[in-house]
Amino acid sequence: MIQLYNVSKRYSRDSIAVNDLSLKIDKGEFVYVTGASGAGKTTFLRMLYVAERPTRGQILVAGQNITRIRSQHIPYLRRKIGVVFQDFKLLQSRSVYENVAFALEAQGKKRFEVSKKVYQALKEVGLEHRLQRKPQELSGGEQQRIAIARALVVDPLILLADEPSGNLDQGVTLEIMELFKRANARGTTVLLATHDYNLHERFPRRVITLDAGKLVGDQRPLGTVGPE
Amino acid sequence: MLEAVRYFFLRALRNMRQWPFLCSAAILTMAVSLATIATFFLIVVNIEQLASRWTQEIQVIAYLQRAPSAQELPTLINKMEQLEGVEKVAYVSPQAAMERFRERLGEDAALLQGVRPDLLPASFELGLVAEYRSQKGIEVIIEQLESLIAIDDLRYGQTWLERFNNFVSMLRFVGAFVGGFLLFATLFIVANTIRLTLYARRDELEIMALVGATMRFIKIPFMLEGAIQGFVGGLLSLLFLSASFSLIISKSLNAFWLTPADFDLLFLTAAQQLFLVLAGVVLGVLGSLSSLRRFVRI
Repeated sequence: MIQLYNVSKRYSRDSIAVNDLSLKIDKGEFVYVTGASGAGKTTFLRMLYVAERPTRGQILVAGQNITRIRSQHIPYLRRKIGVVFQDFKLLQSRSVYENVAFALEAQGKKRFEVSKKVYQALKEVGLEHRLQRKPQELSGGEQQRIAIARALVVDPLILLADEPSGNLDQGVTLEIMELFKRANARGTTVLLATHDYNLHERFPRRVITLDAGKLVGDQRPLGTVGPE
Repeated sequence: MLEAVRYFFLRALRNMRQWPFLCSAAILTMAVSLATIATFFLIVVNIEQLASRWTQEIQVIAYLQRAPSAQELPTLINKMEQLEGVEKVAYVSPQAAMERFRERLGEDAALLQGVRPDLLPASFELGLVAEYRSQKGIEVIIEQLESLIAIDDLRYGQTWLERFNNFVSMLRFVGAFVGGFLLFATLFIVANTIRLTLYARRDELEIMALVGATMRFIKIPFMLEGAIQGFVGGLLSLLFLSASFSLIISKSLNAFWLTPADFDLLFLTAAQQLFLVLAGVVLGVLGSLSSLRRFVRI
Protein backbone atom coordinates (compact mmCIF):
# COMPACT_ATOMS: atom_id res chain seq x y z
CA MET A 1 0.00 0.00 0.00
CA ILE A 2 2.86 2.37 0.90
CA GLN A 3 6.43 2.04 -0.32
CA LEU A 4 9.33 4.41 0.29
CA TYR A 5 12.67 4.09 -1.47
CA ASN A 6 15.60 6.11 -0.09
CA VAL A 7 13.38 9.05 0.71
CA SER A 8 14.96 12.21 2.11
CA LYS A 9 13.41 15.53 2.92
CA ARG A 10 15.70 18.48 3.44
CA TYR A 11 14.36 21.91 4.39
CA SER A 12 17.71 23.65 4.17
CA ARG A 13 21.40 22.72 4.02
CA ASP A 14 21.66 21.74 7.65
CA SER A 15 18.05 20.83 8.40
CA ILE A 16 17.13 17.34 7.32
CA ALA A 17 13.74 16.03 8.46
CA VAL A 18 13.77 12.60 6.85
CA ASN A 19 17.01 10.88 5.93
CA ASP A 20 17.23 8.03 3.44
CA LEU A 21 14.08 6.28 4.56
CA SER A 22 13.08 3.00 2.90
CA LEU A 23 10.15 0.93 4.06
CA LYS A 24 7.09 -0.95 2.94
CA ILE A 25 3.66 -1.01 4.54
CA ASP A 26 1.16 -3.57 3.29
CA LYS A 27 -2.54 -3.16 2.73
CA GLY A 28 -4.51 -3.50 5.96
CA GLU A 29 -1.54 -3.02 8.28
CA PHE A 30 -1.70 -1.02 11.51
CA VAL A 31 1.59 0.74 12.10
CA TYR A 32 2.80 3.00 14.89
CA VAL A 33 5.33 5.64 13.86
CA THR A 34 7.31 6.63 16.92
CA GLY A 35 10.27 8.73 17.83
CA ALA A 36 11.11 11.80 19.88
CA SER A 37 9.83 15.22 18.87
CA GLY A 38 11.62 16.32 15.72
CA ALA A 39 12.39 12.75 14.69
CA GLY A 40 10.58 13.28 11.36
CA LYS A 41 7.24 11.57 12.10
CA THR A 42 5.11 14.48 10.94
CA THR A 43 7.20 15.10 7.81
CA PHE A 44 6.95 11.41 6.95
CA LEU A 45 3.15 11.51 7.19
CA ARG A 46 2.94 14.85 5.37
CA MET A 47 4.87 13.40 2.44
CA LEU A 48 2.31 10.60 2.15
CA TYR A 49 -0.54 13.02 1.48
CA VAL A 50 1.74 15.34 -0.52
CA ALA A 51 1.69 18.29 1.83
CA GLU A 52 5.45 18.00 1.39
CA ARG A 53 7.44 16.62 -1.47
CA PRO A 54 10.57 14.55 -0.89
CA THR A 55 13.90 16.06 -1.83
CA ARG A 56 15.15 12.65 -2.92
CA GLY A 57 13.82 9.13 -3.35
CA GLN A 58 10.52 7.68 -4.52
CA ILE A 59 7.20 7.22 -2.74
CA LEU A 60 4.43 4.91 -3.93
CA VAL A 61 0.96 5.13 -2.42
CA ALA A 62 -1.81 2.76 -3.47
CA GLY A 63 0.20 1.75 -6.51
CA GLN A 64 0.77 5.35 -7.64
CA ASN A 65 4.15 7.05 -7.69
CA ILE A 66 3.42 10.30 -5.91
CA THR A 67 6.96 11.67 -5.94
CA ARG A 68 6.30 13.92 -8.90
CA ILE A 69 2.54 13.85 -8.89
CA ARG A 70 1.04 16.85 -10.71
CA SER A 71 -0.77 19.25 -8.42
CA GLN A 72 -4.10 18.79 -10.18
CA HIS A 73 -3.96 15.08 -9.35
CA ILE A 74 -3.28 15.59 -5.65
CA PRO A 75 -6.97 16.03 -4.65
CA TYR A 76 -7.78 12.61 -6.13
CA LEU A 77 -4.96 11.00 -4.13
CA ARG A 78 -6.15 12.70 -0.94
CA ARG A 79 -9.61 11.26 -1.38
CA LYS A 80 -8.08 7.86 -0.70
CA ILE A 81 -6.42 9.09 2.48
CA GLY A 82 -8.02 10.22 5.73
CA VAL A 83 -5.94 12.44 7.99
CA VAL A 84 -6.39 13.10 11.72
CA PHE A 85 -4.41 15.76 13.58
CA GLN A 86 -3.55 16.52 17.16
CA ASP A 87 -5.35 19.88 16.94
CA PHE A 88 -8.40 18.33 15.18
CA LYS A 89 -8.54 20.99 12.43
CA LEU A 90 -12.30 21.39 12.58
CA LEU A 91 -14.21 24.37 11.28
CA GLN A 92 -15.39 26.04 14.46
CA SER A 93 -18.05 28.07 12.70
CA ARG A 94 -19.70 24.96 11.22
CA SER A 95 -21.89 22.38 12.88
CA VAL A 96 -20.71 18.84 13.57
CA TYR A 97 -22.77 17.61 10.63
CA GLU A 98 -21.29 20.21 8.27
CA ASN A 99 -17.76 19.41 9.35
CA VAL A 100 -18.13 15.77 8.43
CA ALA A 101 -20.23 16.46 5.32
CA PHE A 102 -17.50 18.77 4.06
CA ALA A 103 -15.25 15.87 3.12
CA LEU A 104 -17.97 14.28 0.99
CA GLU A 105 -19.14 17.54 -0.55
CA ALA A 106 -15.56 18.27 -1.56
CA GLN A 107 -15.68 15.05 -3.58
CA GLY A 108 -18.87 16.17 -5.28
CA LYS A 109 -21.11 13.53 -3.69
CA LYS A 110 -24.90 13.86 -4.04
CA ARG A 111 -26.86 15.35 -1.16
CA PHE A 112 -28.83 12.27 -0.13
CA GLU A 113 -25.66 10.22 -0.18
CA VAL A 114 -23.90 12.82 1.95
CA SER A 115 -26.55 12.89 4.66
CA LYS A 116 -26.73 9.12 4.83
CA LYS A 117 -22.99 8.63 5.11
CA VAL A 118 -22.47 11.47 7.56
CA TYR A 119 -25.07 10.01 9.87
CA GLN A 120 -23.45 6.59 9.67
CA ALA A 121 -19.99 7.99 10.32
CA LEU A 122 -21.16 9.99 13.32
CA LYS A 123 -23.00 7.00 14.66
CA GLU A 124 -19.81 4.99 14.31
CA VAL A 125 -17.99 7.46 16.60
CA GLY A 126 -21.00 7.78 18.89
CA LEU A 127 -21.85 11.41 18.16
CA GLU A 128 -24.99 11.08 16.05
CA HIS A 129 -26.94 12.97 18.73
CA ARG A 130 -24.66 16.03 18.40
CA LEU A 131 -25.30 16.77 14.74
CA GLN A 132 -26.21 20.43 15.09
CA ARG A 133 -23.71 21.38 17.78
CA LYS A 134 -20.67 23.52 17.06
CA PRO A 135 -17.28 21.85 17.76
CA GLN A 136 -16.37 24.36 20.48
CA GLU A 137 -19.39 23.26 22.49
CA LEU A 138 -17.93 19.76 22.70
CA SER A 139 -15.08 18.24 24.70
CA GLY A 140 -11.64 17.62 23.19
CA GLY A 141 -12.33 13.89 22.93
CA GLU A 142 -15.61 14.53 21.13
CA GLN A 143 -13.94 16.95 18.75
CA GLN A 144 -11.32 14.37 17.91
CA ARG A 145 -14.06 11.84 17.24
CA ILE A 146 -15.65 14.27 14.78
CA ALA A 147 -12.29 14.64 13.06
CA ILE A 148 -12.03 10.85 12.88
CA ALA A 149 -15.56 10.63 11.48
CA ARG A 150 -14.56 13.19 8.83
CA ALA A 151 -11.50 11.13 7.94
CA LEU A 152 -13.42 7.86 7.78
CA VAL A 153 -16.62 9.03 6.10
CA VAL A 154 -14.96 8.79 2.69
CA ASP A 155 -13.95 5.13 3.26
CA PRO A 156 -10.24 5.86 2.85
CA LEU A 157 -7.70 3.23 1.88
CA ILE A 158 -5.26 4.76 4.34
CA LEU A 159 -5.78 6.58 7.62
CA LEU A 160 -2.97 8.83 8.80
CA ALA A 161 -3.10 10.08 12.38
CA ASP A 162 -0.54 12.54 13.71
CA GLU A 163 -0.48 12.43 17.52
CA PRO A 164 -4.26 12.12 17.61
CA SER A 165 -4.35 11.68 21.37
CA GLY A 166 -1.65 14.23 22.18
CA ASN A 167 -4.10 16.55 23.89
CA LEU A 168 -6.42 13.95 25.36
CA ASP A 169 -6.57 12.00 28.59
CA GLN A 170 -6.04 8.27 28.87
CA GLY A 171 -9.72 7.25 28.83
CA VAL A 172 -10.46 9.22 25.68
CA THR A 173 -7.28 7.93 24.06
CA LEU A 174 -8.50 4.36 24.51
CA GLU A 175 -11.85 5.22 22.93
CA ILE A 176 -10.08 6.72 19.96
CA MET A 177 -7.77 3.75 19.60
CA GLU A 178 -10.88 1.59 19.48
CA LEU A 179 -12.11 3.62 16.49
CA PHE A 180 -8.79 3.19 14.70
CA LYS A 181 -8.81 -0.52 15.35
CA ARG A 182 -12.31 -0.85 13.95
CA ALA A 183 -11.36 1.07 10.82
CA ASN A 184 -8.32 -1.19 10.48
CA ALA A 185 -10.49 -4.27 10.90
CA ARG A 186 -12.58 -3.06 7.93
CA GLY A 187 -9.43 -3.06 5.81
CA THR A 188 -8.13 0.50 6.13
CA THR A 189 -4.36 0.75 6.45
CA VAL A 190 -3.62 2.82 9.56
CA LEU A 191 -0.47 4.82 10.33
CA LEU A 192 -0.44 6.38 13.76
CA ALA A 193 2.33 8.74 14.78
CA THR A 194 2.71 8.89 18.54
CA HIS A 195 5.27 8.99 21.29
CA ASP A 196 2.88 7.42 23.78
CA TYR A 197 4.61 4.10 24.54
CA ASN A 198 1.64 2.93 26.60
CA LEU A 199 -0.31 2.60 23.40
CA HIS A 200 1.96 0.03 21.77
CA GLU A 201 2.02 -1.94 24.94
CA ARG A 202 -1.73 -1.97 25.24
CA PHE A 203 -2.41 -2.55 21.53
CA PRO A 204 0.70 -4.23 20.18
CA ARG A 205 1.20 -3.61 16.46
CA ARG A 206 4.11 -3.00 14.12
CA VAL A 207 6.26 -0.11 15.37
CA ILE A 208 8.46 2.01 13.11
CA THR A 209 10.91 4.17 15.04
CA LEU A 210 12.52 7.27 13.61
CA ASP A 211 15.42 9.20 15.02
CA ALA A 212 16.73 12.37 13.42
CA GLY A 213 14.89 11.38 10.26
CA LYS A 214 16.46 7.93 10.04
CA LEU A 215 14.70 4.61 10.43
CA VAL A 216 16.19 3.09 13.58
CA GLY A 217 13.66 0.40 14.36
CA ASP A 218 10.97 -1.67 12.68
CA GLN A 219 9.47 -4.21 15.05
CA ARG A 220 6.46 -6.44 14.71
CA PRO A 221 4.77 -7.82 17.81
CA LEU A 222 5.80 -11.34 18.68
CA GLY A 223 3.94 -14.01 16.85
CA THR A 224 2.98 -11.91 13.84
CA VAL A 225 4.60 -11.84 10.45
CA GLY A 226 3.59 -9.18 8.02
CA PRO A 227 0.10 -7.79 7.99
CA GLU A 228 -2.56 -9.20 10.24
CA MET B 1 -24.37 20.23 -12.96
CA LEU B 2 -27.43 22.01 -11.56
CA GLU B 3 -26.76 20.37 -8.22
CA ALA B 4 -23.19 21.73 -8.28
CA VAL B 5 -24.30 25.26 -9.17
CA ARG B 6 -26.86 25.15 -6.38
CA TYR B 7 -24.26 23.87 -3.96
CA PHE B 8 -21.70 26.54 -4.85
CA PHE B 9 -24.30 29.25 -4.59
CA LEU B 10 -25.55 28.04 -1.24
CA ARG B 11 -22.03 27.79 0.08
CA ALA B 12 -21.19 31.30 -1.04
CA LEU B 13 -24.32 32.61 0.69
CA ARG B 14 -23.66 30.58 3.81
CA ASN B 15 -20.08 31.85 3.99
CA MET B 16 -21.31 35.41 3.82
CA ARG B 17 -23.87 34.73 6.53
CA GLN B 18 -21.25 33.16 8.73
CA TRP B 19 -18.89 36.10 8.38
CA PRO B 20 -21.23 39.08 8.32
CA PHE B 21 -18.57 41.55 9.40
CA LEU B 22 -16.01 40.50 6.80
CA CYS B 23 -18.69 40.37 4.16
CA SER B 24 -20.00 43.86 4.87
CA ALA B 25 -16.45 45.22 5.05
CA ALA B 26 -15.78 43.90 1.55
CA ILE B 27 -19.09 45.21 0.21
CA LEU B 28 -18.64 48.66 1.75
CA THR B 29 -15.07 48.95 0.53
CA MET B 30 -16.18 48.19 -3.00
CA ALA B 31 -19.20 50.51 -2.74
CA VAL B 32 -17.11 53.43 -1.50
CA SER B 33 -14.37 52.81 -4.06
CA LEU B 34 -16.78 52.54 -6.97
CA ALA B 35 -18.74 55.59 -5.81
CA THR B 36 -15.51 57.60 -5.59
CA ILE B 37 -14.51 56.69 -9.13
CA ALA B 38 -18.01 57.30 -10.47
CA THR B 39 -18.23 60.67 -8.71
CA PHE B 40 -14.96 61.68 -10.22
CA PHE B 41 -16.13 60.50 -13.63
CA LEU B 42 -19.31 62.59 -13.26
CA ILE B 43 -17.31 65.67 -12.32
CA VAL B 44 -15.13 65.36 -15.40
CA VAL B 45 -18.07 64.61 -17.69
CA ASN B 46 -20.05 67.56 -16.38
CA ILE B 47 -17.20 70.01 -16.67
CA GLU B 48 -16.67 68.87 -20.25
CA GLN B 49 -20.35 69.18 -20.93
CA LEU B 50 -20.43 72.66 -19.46
CA ALA B 51 -17.37 73.61 -21.46
CA SER B 52 -18.81 72.30 -24.69
CA ARG B 53 -21.85 74.52 -24.11
CA TRP B 54 -19.62 77.55 -24.13
CA THR B 55 -18.37 76.55 -27.55
CA GLN B 56 -21.94 76.56 -28.87
CA GLU B 57 -21.68 80.28 -28.90
CA ILE B 58 -18.58 80.23 -31.05
CA GLN B 59 -19.22 81.80 -34.39
CA VAL B 60 -17.10 83.34 -37.12
CA ILE B 61 -17.91 86.90 -38.04
CA ALA B 62 -16.47 88.02 -41.34
CA TYR B 63 -16.49 91.78 -41.96
CA LEU B 64 -16.59 92.48 -45.67
CA GLN B 65 -14.60 95.03 -47.60
CA ARG B 66 -17.77 96.01 -49.42
CA ALA B 67 -21.39 95.10 -49.00
CA PRO B 68 -22.65 92.67 -51.69
CA SER B 69 -25.44 93.83 -53.96
CA ALA B 70 -28.97 92.51 -53.56
CA GLN B 71 -28.44 90.31 -56.66
CA GLU B 72 -25.18 88.79 -55.37
CA LEU B 73 -26.46 88.11 -51.90
CA PRO B 74 -28.63 84.94 -52.35
CA THR B 75 -25.96 83.07 -54.34
CA LEU B 76 -23.29 84.15 -51.86
CA ILE B 77 -25.31 82.90 -48.89
CA ASN B 78 -26.06 79.72 -50.76
CA LYS B 79 -22.37 79.14 -51.47
CA MET B 80 -21.42 79.82 -47.86
CA GLU B 81 -24.00 77.39 -46.62
CA GLN B 82 -22.34 74.75 -48.79
CA LEU B 83 -18.98 75.31 -47.07
CA GLU B 84 -17.55 72.48 -45.03
CA GLY B 85 -18.28 72.95 -41.31
CA VAL B 86 -20.80 75.79 -41.71
CA GLU B 87 -24.15 75.21 -40.06
CA LYS B 88 -25.97 78.45 -40.75
CA VAL B 89 -25.24 81.77 -42.34
CA ALA B 90 -26.69 85.13 -41.38
CA TYR B 91 -26.05 88.28 -43.36
CA VAL B 92 -25.88 91.55 -41.41
CA SER B 93 -26.21 94.55 -43.69
CA PRO B 94 -24.64 97.89 -42.69
CA GLN B 95 -28.13 99.15 -41.90
CA ALA B 96 -28.93 96.16 -39.72
CA ALA B 97 -25.60 96.55 -37.94
CA MET B 98 -26.41 100.17 -37.23
CA GLU B 99 -29.82 99.17 -35.94
CA ARG B 100 -28.20 96.68 -33.52
CA PHE B 101 -25.76 99.29 -32.41
CA ARG B 102 -28.58 101.69 -31.78
CA GLU B 103 -30.40 99.11 -29.67
CA ARG B 104 -27.33 98.46 -27.60
CA LEU B 105 -26.78 102.08 -26.92
CA GLY B 106 -30.34 102.24 -25.57
CA GLU B 107 -30.91 105.66 -24.07
CA ASP B 108 -27.71 106.98 -25.62
CA ALA B 109 -28.94 106.18 -29.14
CA ALA B 110 -29.31 109.89 -29.74
CA LEU B 111 -25.53 109.97 -30.18
CA LEU B 112 -25.99 108.28 -33.54
CA GLN B 113 -28.10 111.07 -34.98
CA GLY B 114 -26.59 112.36 -38.15
CA VAL B 115 -24.31 109.33 -38.61
CA ARG B 116 -24.52 107.73 -42.06
CA PRO B 117 -26.58 104.49 -41.81
CA ASP B 118 -24.03 102.61 -43.99
CA LEU B 119 -21.03 103.57 -41.89
CA LEU B 120 -20.62 100.14 -40.38
CA PRO B 121 -19.28 97.30 -42.57
CA ALA B 122 -21.52 94.51 -43.81
CA SER B 123 -20.77 91.12 -42.28
CA PHE B 124 -21.60 87.43 -42.39
CA GLU B 125 -22.16 85.53 -39.14
CA LEU B 126 -21.39 81.87 -39.56
CA GLY B 127 -22.71 79.28 -37.11
CA LEU B 128 -20.47 76.22 -36.96
CA VAL B 129 -21.07 72.50 -36.96
CA ALA B 130 -20.10 71.12 -33.50
CA GLU B 131 -16.94 69.37 -34.73
CA TYR B 132 -15.62 72.61 -36.23
CA ARG B 133 -15.89 74.65 -33.02
CA SER B 134 -12.17 74.54 -32.47
CA GLN B 135 -9.05 76.36 -33.54
CA LYS B 136 -8.37 73.88 -36.33
CA GLY B 137 -11.95 73.74 -37.55
CA ILE B 138 -12.16 77.51 -37.72
CA GLU B 139 -8.94 77.68 -39.71
CA VAL B 140 -10.46 75.33 -42.31
CA ILE B 141 -13.53 77.52 -42.58
CA ILE B 142 -11.60 80.76 -42.85
CA GLU B 143 -9.49 79.35 -45.66
CA GLN B 144 -12.59 78.47 -47.67
CA LEU B 145 -14.20 81.79 -46.85
CA GLU B 146 -11.27 83.84 -48.06
CA SER B 147 -11.36 82.18 -51.45
CA LEU B 148 -15.02 83.09 -51.77
CA ILE B 149 -15.14 86.76 -50.86
CA ALA B 150 -12.93 89.76 -49.99
CA ILE B 151 -12.74 90.00 -46.23
CA ASP B 152 -11.69 92.99 -44.24
CA ASP B 153 -11.52 91.47 -40.78
CA LEU B 154 -12.42 88.28 -38.88
CA ARG B 155 -13.62 87.78 -35.32
CA TYR B 156 -13.98 84.45 -33.62
CA GLY B 157 -12.65 84.89 -30.08
CA GLN B 158 -9.10 83.76 -30.93
CA THR B 159 -7.50 84.16 -27.50
CA TRP B 160 -10.53 82.74 -25.73
CA LEU B 161 -10.53 79.69 -27.95
CA GLU B 162 -6.87 79.09 -27.32
CA ARG B 163 -7.35 79.23 -23.56
CA PHE B 164 -10.37 77.04 -23.82
CA ASN B 165 -8.41 74.42 -25.76
CA ASN B 166 -5.70 74.43 -23.12
CA PHE B 167 -8.29 74.08 -20.41
CA VAL B 168 -9.97 71.08 -22.06
CA SER B 169 -6.72 69.27 -22.73
CA MET B 170 -5.61 69.89 -19.14
CA LEU B 171 -8.95 68.64 -17.85
CA ARG B 172 -8.55 65.46 -19.87
CA PHE B 173 -5.01 64.95 -18.70
CA VAL B 174 -5.84 65.51 -15.04
CA GLY B 175 -8.95 63.35 -15.48
CA ALA B 176 -6.99 60.46 -16.90
CA PHE B 177 -4.25 60.82 -14.29
CA VAL B 178 -6.48 61.07 -11.23
CA GLY B 179 -8.91 58.48 -12.65
CA GLY B 180 -6.06 56.05 -13.23
CA PHE B 181 -4.74 56.67 -9.75
CA LEU B 182 -8.18 56.11 -8.21
CA LEU B 183 -8.64 52.92 -10.19
CA PHE B 184 -5.31 51.60 -9.00
CA ALA B 185 -6.08 52.53 -5.39
CA THR B 186 -9.47 50.84 -5.66
CA LEU B 187 -8.01 47.62 -7.00
CA PHE B 188 -5.41 47.65 -4.27
CA ILE B 189 -7.87 48.29 -1.45
CA VAL B 190 -10.44 45.79 -2.67
CA ALA B 191 -7.86 43.05 -3.23
CA ASN B 192 -6.48 43.63 0.25
CA THR B 193 -9.87 43.63 1.92
CA ILE B 194 -10.72 40.36 0.24
CA ARG B 195 -7.32 39.03 1.20
CA LEU B 196 -8.10 39.81 4.83
CA THR B 197 -11.44 38.02 4.60
CA LEU B 198 -9.69 34.99 3.13
CA TYR B 199 -6.95 35.16 5.72
CA ALA B 200 -9.59 34.83 8.41
CA ARG B 201 -10.78 31.71 6.66
CA ARG B 202 -7.47 30.11 5.79
CA ASP B 203 -8.29 27.12 8.03
CA GLU B 204 -11.28 26.39 5.88
CA LEU B 205 -9.17 26.60 2.72
CA GLU B 206 -6.55 24.33 4.25
CA ILE B 207 -9.09 21.73 5.35
CA MET B 208 -10.78 21.77 1.96
CA ALA B 209 -7.48 21.01 0.27
CA LEU B 210 -6.83 18.31 2.86
CA VAL B 211 -10.04 16.39 2.24
CA GLY B 212 -9.40 16.24 -1.48
CA ALA B 213 -11.28 19.23 -2.84
CA THR B 214 -10.11 20.25 -6.29
CA MET B 215 -8.85 23.78 -7.00
CA ARG B 216 -12.06 24.50 -8.86
CA PHE B 217 -14.20 23.31 -5.99
CA ILE B 218 -12.33 25.51 -3.54
CA LYS B 219 -12.22 28.59 -5.72
CA ILE B 220 -15.68 28.76 -7.27
CA PRO B 221 -17.66 29.59 -4.09
CA PHE B 222 -15.15 32.29 -3.14
CA MET B 223 -15.27 33.80 -6.59
CA LEU B 224 -19.04 33.64 -6.52
CA GLU B 225 -18.94 35.32 -3.16
CA GLY B 226 -16.69 38.04 -4.60
CA ALA B 227 -19.12 38.45 -7.50
CA ILE B 228 -22.14 38.75 -5.19
CA GLN B 229 -20.33 41.21 -2.94
CA GLY B 230 -19.20 43.20 -5.96
CA PHE B 231 -22.73 43.24 -7.32
CA VAL B 232 -24.16 44.48 -4.03
CA GLY B 233 -21.29 46.94 -3.68
CA GLY B 234 -21.97 48.24 -7.19
CA LEU B 235 -25.68 48.64 -6.47
CA LEU B 236 -24.94 50.40 -3.19
CA SER B 237 -22.56 52.82 -4.84
CA LEU B 238 -25.19 53.56 -7.49
CA LEU B 239 -27.81 54.14 -4.83
CA PHE B 240 -25.50 56.38 -2.86
CA LEU B 241 -24.52 58.27 -5.97
CA SER B 242 -28.03 58.91 -7.22
CA ALA B 243 -29.25 59.87 -3.76
CA SER B 244 -26.43 62.31 -3.17
CA PHE B 245 -26.75 63.59 -6.72
CA SER B 246 -30.45 64.37 -6.60
CA LEU B 247 -30.52 65.53 -2.99
CA ILE B 248 -27.37 67.53 -2.65
CA ILE B 249 -25.16 68.15 -5.62
CA SER B 250 -27.52 69.33 -8.34
CA LYS B 251 -29.49 71.55 -5.96
CA SER B 252 -26.53 73.17 -4.31
CA LEU B 253 -24.71 73.74 -7.59
CA ASN B 254 -27.75 75.39 -9.08
CA ALA B 255 -28.22 77.46 -5.94
CA PHE B 256 -24.67 78.72 -6.16
CA TRP B 257 -25.24 79.84 -9.80
CA LEU B 258 -22.37 77.61 -10.80
CA THR B 259 -24.31 76.30 -13.74
CA PRO B 260 -26.29 78.15 -16.40
CA ALA B 261 -30.04 78.29 -15.73
CA ASP B 262 -31.03 75.82 -18.43
CA PHE B 263 -28.15 73.46 -17.80
CA ASP B 264 -29.03 70.06 -16.40
CA LEU B 265 -26.20 68.23 -14.69
CA LEU B 266 -25.46 64.92 -16.33
CA PHE B 267 -25.91 61.71 -14.35
CA LEU B 268 -24.72 58.28 -15.43
CA THR B 269 -26.57 56.93 -18.43
CA ALA B 270 -28.33 53.57 -18.13
CA ALA B 271 -25.41 51.88 -19.84
CA GLN B 272 -22.92 53.54 -17.50
CA GLN B 273 -24.98 52.50 -14.47
CA LEU B 274 -24.96 48.92 -15.70
CA PHE B 275 -21.23 49.23 -16.29
CA LEU B 276 -20.72 50.43 -12.71
CA VAL B 277 -22.50 47.39 -11.28
CA LEU B 278 -20.67 45.04 -13.64
CA ALA B 279 -17.40 46.70 -12.67
CA GLY B 280 -18.25 45.77 -9.07
CA VAL B 281 -18.76 42.15 -10.09
CA VAL B 282 -15.49 42.04 -12.02
CA LEU B 283 -13.69 43.75 -9.16
CA GLY B 284 -15.04 41.19 -6.68
CA VAL B 285 -14.11 38.21 -8.82
CA LEU B 286 -10.62 39.51 -9.63
CA GLY B 287 -10.02 40.48 -6.02
CA SER B 288 -10.96 37.00 -4.84
CA LEU B 289 -8.97 35.30 -7.55
CA SER B 290 -5.78 37.24 -6.89
CA SER B 291 -5.99 36.57 -3.15
CA LEU B 292 -6.97 32.92 -3.49
CA ARG B 293 -3.80 32.32 -5.39
CA ARG B 294 -1.91 33.14 -2.21
CA PHE B 295 -3.92 31.08 0.20
CA VAL B 296 -4.85 27.99 -1.72
CA ARG B 297 -1.94 25.71 -2.18
CA ILE B 298 -2.59 22.11 -2.84
